[in-house]
Amino acid sequence: MAAVPGVEARAGKFPGPSLIPRLTEIQREHGWLPREELVALSRDMRRPLYEIEGLISFYPHFRTDPPEGSEVAVCHDLSCWLAGQAQAPEGARVREVSCLGRCDRAPITVVDEDYPEVERGEGPRPNDPYSPGDERYRVLRRALDGDITRDEVITALKDAELRGMGGAGFPTGTKWELVAQQSATPKYAICNADESEPGTFKDRQILAEQPHLVLEGLLLGMWVTGAEEGWVFIRHEYAPEEEVLRAELDALRAAGLVGPGRELDIFTSPGGYILGEESALLECMEGHRGEPRNKPPFPGVYGLWGKPTLMNSVETLADVPVIVERGAEWWKAQGVNGSTGLKFFAVSGHVERPGVYCVPMGTTARELIERAGGVSGGAQLAAFQPGGASSNFLGPDDLDVALDFKPLAERGSMLGSGALVAVAEGTDLLAAATNVLRFFRNESCGKCVPCRVGSHKAHAMLTEALGDGSVEAIEPEIEQLEATLRMTSICGLGQVALGPVMSVLGLQRGGTAARSHPRPRP
Amino acid sequence: VATTVEAPSEHRTVSLTIDGVEVQAAEGATIWEAARDAGIEIPVLCHDERYDPVGVCRLCVVDVGGRVYAAACVRPVEDGMEVKTATDDLERHRATLTSLLETDQPPPEQDPKETTTADNELLVLVRKYGVERQNGLPVGGGRGEDHSNPVISVNHDACILCDRCVRACDDIQGNDVIGRSGKGYTTRIAFDLNDPMGESSCVTCGECVAACPTGALTNKPIRDVPIRPRSELRQVESVCPYCGVGCALTYHVDDERNAIVFAEGREQPGSKSRLCVKGRYGWDYAASPQRLTVPLIRREDSYPKGPLSGDVRGEGRGRRKPGGLVNYDEVLPHFREATWEEALDLAASRLKALHSEHGPGAIAGFGSAKCSNEEAYLFQKLIRAGFGTNNVDHCTRLCHASSVAALFEGVGSGAVSTTYGDIINADVAILAGTNTTANHPVASSFFKQARRRGTTLIVVDPRRERIADHADIFCQIKPGTDVAFYNGVLHEIIARDLVDHEFVARRATNYEALVEMVQQYPPERAAQICGVDADTIREVARLWGEAGAAVVYWGMGISQHTTGTDNARCLIALCTITGNVGKQGAGLHPLRGQNNVQGASDAGLIPMFYPDYQSVDSPGAWTRFEEAWGRELDHERGLTVTEIIGSALHGGVRGMYMMGENPFLSDPNINKVRKALAALDFLVVQDIFLTETAEFADVVLPATSYLEKEGTYTNTDRRVQIGRKVLDPPGEAREDWRVVCDIARRIGLPMDYESPREVFDEMVALTTNYAGLTYDNLGPMGKLYPNPDPEGSDGTVVLFGERFGTDDGKAHLVPAEWMPAKELPDEDFPFVLNTGRLLEHWHTGSMTRRSFALDAIQPEAQVWLNPDDAATMGVADGDFVRISSRRGSIELRAKLSHRDTPGTCFIPFHFREAAANVLTIDEIDPFGKIPEFKFCAVKVEPVAVPEPA
Repeated sequence: MAAVPGVEARAGKFPGPSLIPRLTEIQREHGWLPREELVALSRDMRRPLYEIEGLISFYPHFRTDPPEGSEVAVCHDLSCWLAGQAQAPEGARVREVSCLGRCDRAPITVVDEDYPEVERGEGPRPNDPYSPGDERYRVLRRALDGDITRDEVITALKDAELRGMGGAGFPTGTKWELVAQQSATPKYAICNADESEPGTFKDRQILAEQPHLVLEGLLLGMWVTGAEEGWVFIRHEYAPEEEVLRAELDALRAAGLVGPGRELDIFTSPGGYILGEESALLECMEGHRGEPRNKPPFPGVYGLWGKPTLMNSVETLADVPVIVERGAEWWKAQGVNGSTGLKFFAVSGHVERPGVYCVPMGTTARELIERAGGVSGGAQLAAFQPGGASSNFLGPDDLDVALDFKPLAERGSMLGSGALVAVAEGTDLLAAATNVLRFFRNESCGKCVPCRVGSHKAHAMLTEALGDGSVEAIEPEIEQLEATLRMTSICGLGQVALGPVMSVLGLQRGGTAARSHPRPRP
Repeated sequence: VATTVEAPSEHRTVSLTIDGVEVQAAEGATIWEAARDAGIEIPVLCHDERYDPVGVCRLCVVDVGGRVYAAACVRPVEDGMEVKTATDDLERHRATLTSLLETDQPPPEQDPKETTTADNELLVLVRKYGVERQNGLPVGGGRGEDHSNPVISVNHDACILCDRCVRACDDIQGNDVIGRSGKGYTTRIAFDLNDPMGESSCVTCGECVAACPTGALTNKPIRDVPIRPRSELRQVESVCPYCGVGCALTYHVDDERNAIVFAEGREQPGSKSRLCVKGRYGWDYAASPQRLTVPLIRREDSYPKGPLSGDVRGEGRGRRKPGGLVNYDEVLPHFREATWEEALDLAASRLKALHSEHGPGAIAGFGSAKCSNEEAYLFQKLIRAGFGTNNVDHCTRLCHASSVAALFEGVGSGAVSTTYGDIINADVAILAGTNTTANHPVASSFFKQARRRGTTLIVVDPRRERIADHADIFCQIKPGTDVAFYNGVLHEIIARDLVDHEFVARRATNYEALVEMVQQYPPERAAQICGVDADTIREVARLWGEAGAAVVYWGMGISQHTTGTDNARCLIALCTITGNVGKQGAGLHPLRGQNNVQGASDAGLIPMFYPDYQSVDSPGAWTRFEEAWGRELDHERGLTVTEIIGSALHGGVRGMYMMGENPFLSDPNINKVRKALAALDFLVVQDIFLTETAEFADVVLPATSYLEKEGTYTNTDRRVQIGRKVLDPPGEAREDWRVVCDIARRIGLPMDYESPREVFDEMVALTTNYAGLTYDNLGPMGKLYPNPDPEGSDGTVVLFGERFGTDDGKAHLVPAEWMPAKELPDEDFPFVLNTGRLLEHWHTGSMTRRSFALDAIQPEAQVWLNPDDAATMGVADGDFVRISSRRGSIELRAKLSHRDTPGTCFIPFHFREAAANVLTIDEIDPFGKIPEFKFCAVKVEPVAVPEPA
């Protein structure tokens, strides 16, 4: 019997600090990871070589071969795929990478990890309680001064009906309360800034424009739950945004809002979409391969280093200050069509003005696409994913659906990661959905059988069928695979990997009928 | 199981229903466990109860009413949970998962497991779910194979990434070699930095093979004996013939071929089904074509006696190809075949003549710790009762004689006070001078596991061996400074008043003298001598002194010094003054080397004791044995191994009988041993191969190997186990015990036994410790002695709960002053040479170098050198170097290793072509008479040598 049921044997296996920062250091020094350095690291740290191998072969950031000149990273995921093949400069070495979170500039290429900065919007967004020139962290100071209580914050979040904006939509107030109630110490709080799903880049915008809200939300979370150590886990491709955060963190330290007893730091992800899954993120921070844990237990009870851990996404935390400042009623009133609050959306694909939009929750897909300038070139919309790569495709008939958790679920899709990708007529929708599956296959951690093998086999079958037009023949197998992946995979990645394909095929999915599209024909 | 996570302390019971049946389960139990207890079987591939669950194969998913299914192997039970384990939908998903795995497998007719042991667990599911290979899923494969390990095949296509091998390697054996490499569909198991298995740090324990459910990790056939299903083979439940850990195993035997096909670990309270490379793969030495099959008599023209081969003459110089063994072509022509009658008559008559002519002192016998208790008993009886001398000894003299001397003096018994497995109950354990991963691999797996479960592990050793990688504190003392280090620790324990005064007052003597002595060793002074900083010494003292239970395990690093007895005295003091003897998780454990060194000593195969440590110079004891054996006995202690060699040089001992010993390679200062053996008037060597020592023999008697006879063997834990006959002996080879009887009868000592069982009963009747034990009640797992209830109990784990074995029942503290080693490095010989063993080899290599696996993995002699020293001398890894001491020199390859500190080097003593004992010094400990194998001064020089042909 496992000592803590559900916690796999690997947890806490090799005591000692995570080797990931040391590996990052070696790579910074040499440009790659020479074998003799790895052997010396293993010897010095008294850690097995295989542990190092497990890490460097898992995380795409690590290289085991010396770099040979310039390298161009090219993304092939949905928004870039829709935009057509990116042109790499002549003679450059090309490396395919997964979505870089720059879908607004699709097709994106990045030379030697020189990531472009975001274009900041004009003026504060509606979720920012601070006017230009205001002293920030007002809410946090009030909390620290005892002007508000922890319960008041929890109540405000509950009353505001704020839900997690990372995809799962768990009620934020309830989560904070749960972690606050845990007796085990120390506790941790983590901002999940590992947004990596194709089409999704709203957190990047928030990090660039509102680092003060993200960090204030995180510090409030720490204060409410009693966590003495906070982390922002950010993907390494968000280097410019990480710099913004670091500058903000320096300012916080200088202002005495961060320091002993209330530590805050940044953990740079060594790469991989799977790390956005909360338990995989924890595994990574502990220095393991980013393989999701079996759950329960959940991170609120058994999180980082086995301790209660509050984890929220960037957007969720950025919404907290204004809710506490202006109250739940104000927040709720921001929504439309029966929804509450505000919502950031990344809009990309076949639209005129791809970008990040902060709109009232409940805004319809049609309105959002219109705000983004409508479908490119005035073309007809063929389909759209309302909530990132893992959300099922919806068709033109669904354009008036209110973008919120419930209405989207009722339509057989989801709000997901807040990323709307529009697909214009003339696109092979099954090919588009197969591209999405390809992303999940590439990003599968490989821990469990259904996702590791199933995503690969399904992609191979679909690719072949797309080539010879035999899609109908493989539908029963795809249907069974989808069900098996959905019902038996450890984490959300495997559970949703075949969903978009199924939605395009118009097949029955989990009791809800996805929008039935005309069968795609090449 | 091995997690560092604390278990929930309270155990509540929860109620749930599984498939409609009301079930009670302990809180914290998994659904899979609850179902199993309720008689409901849930299919699994990745799960095995020996390991913590990982929940990766998903075959065990069950319906608990959630959005998705839960993996039963990891999901804890909850009150009121309603679990369905076998709905149509679940079975459909299981079939799909099976099908997904199956498509990438090699076809069954090529599957490495299905075509050998035929127990591929995935294929069982494939058949159960009726999965067709042509099921529409694209067939994968092409992930490659790895045949770099001599006895284990890796087939990545057959791998389902269940992580069982990973957990077996980590959690069971603590070797930490296998992990996952890559991500997603391209993930593979990998060794180290994705290196070929045979080039990785893998120690070939085979635990991964035992764990693998598919054909991914399988055994290769050894000596071309095809591996077949267990049902087609005969199973023999026996014990490993190698080290003192005494692992229980099962040999799977092909009767038609009279050959072992493969070996597997077997359940037993100590070894718990684990094995190391020697036990699992090193049994084929018995099938070597070089076995002796007929008695041999030295030809007349081969006199005067002397070494027969260039190697043994000392002309070898190590420049041969690896795998050197006695050259039969060179040696055999000096002998002629004889009948047993002729050979036995000759042996008996010559020994008897020497005895008559020169008196009992002219005869000596070396028995062996490789032979059974019965054989040890008969051998010493022959020497004592037949020849009237106590000149009988064996290789214990070279291993723990000093430990035993100190233990007898201190606690009145040479046996361990607790078992190796008891470390799990210790808060703190010191591993002192033991390269335990190499010399007691399976015991070391329990040490590593205990550390992962919270025992603080302190390793004290001049070499940074693999076990040091697992230590919480590693004290790399300078060679030969043990006494200073432990006196420093004792000083600090006393200074901090961490002494168990009540225990000392009630159960120890001479405490004041100890206090007085260690007062001279404040940590700063100890640090100056031993090289471990004072703060670390203080920390060790604090941890040890504050521990609720603390235990020390030690090896030859303690004993093989001229201060070996003093070293052990310090450890005894450490345990005694803190009350760490006689309770769970505490005590003294000298890790015994040979499979039966404990038993051979118990049986009286030592010059100062009759069986069960009854002193030959105690009138009560000699009366008892004179009565039992019907002969007048010698009342003086006999000579020890090293003394016998010395005596032979000077015409004292003239005739010798060697049963299974090879002193030419195992004793210090080979050049001296060569002269001594050549000087003997008559030498009988009884062995399974022509050894180096046999070159000096007048008569060579072919013995059966361990695998061809029955007998009992007592391991380091005091566990008495039956080794069973597995194979028929080759040619005319005869069991050692029968040969001893044959000789005894010829010198007029009646020895008529039908079987070892009878001998065992006779021996038991003369001992207290073995009282009550019989072949029948030893059973398949053996029994620990003492055992007041052998029918009902496994025996006594912890000794000295109430009193020690001394006459007054108290522990006798003996203070020790630090003394430097006998031969310190100087300008001419600036290096300290340490010698010892390798994981793959056993003593003089006569068995292991004839084992295919062990020889393939470690074929040649090497000297371990620190890379900095090597760089200074311009020596690269693999270069030949010459190592010289005042007694001789050898040449062998350098192996650069961070495990050895600058100024030291290490040579394993197994390799005749570069025998470490050419260099070692024959200075001995004054009490234990053990040679200082662990310290002599040498020089190291690079030599330009052409690659061997």
